[in-house]
Amino acid sequence: KRRRTSRRWTTMDAEKKKQALQMASQEMEYRVDLFNRMVVTCFDKCADRKFKEGDLSVGENSCVDRCTAKYWQVTSIVGQMLGGAGQGQ
Amino acid sequence: MSASSGLTPSDLDAMGEEDKREMMEMVETMQTRDSLRMYNGLVERCFRECVDNFRRKTLDANEEKCVSKCTEKFLKHSARVSMRFAELNASMEQQQMAQMQQMQGQQQGK
Repeated sequence: KRRRTSRRWTTMDAEKKKQALQMASQEMEYRVDLFNRMVVTCFDKCADRKFKEGDLSVGENSCVDRCTAKYWQVTSIVGQMLGGAGQGQ
Repeated sequence: MSASSGLTPSDLDAMGEEDKREMMEMVETMQTRDSLRMYNGLVERCFRECVDNFRRKTLDANEEKCVSKCTEKFLKHSARVSMRFAELNASMEQQQMAQMQQMQGQQQGK
């Protein structure tokens, strides 16, 4: 799969490049935060607290898979209702 | 979340060395900060879950075992979520690209 070199980037002036990098940085922060919250939330919902084992059981694994899928769906619904306000505009 | 935020893959291809370096530094800083945050979070979590008697200054055998298992379990859990997150992300990006291509096709009157 070929990707054409972006003319968009090379014709951008320094100011626009700075803005693009800032936006990318914000997006990255958002993703990292989303991921971290997903980890903690699904752990709290799914992990057996007695810590008898260091491994996750089959049941816990399924729970985690479903939890992440549902969490993602919720993210999407909320995002739509907020009208893409996650981009900070 | 729209696909038109910040940088596209073809932007990354077109970046000069200096811009690339700036990007990499940003990513690295973010990763380091995130690792440290996770470390602290995990310590607090396993402490809260496993330690609740203060008869002695040192952890007893049960508490130690609990902390080990707590840490191990959380890290494995985190790895699994990471896998699913990447899958969900990839499938969302595919959907967005398909939508964009469809829109472009319509604009070109295909």
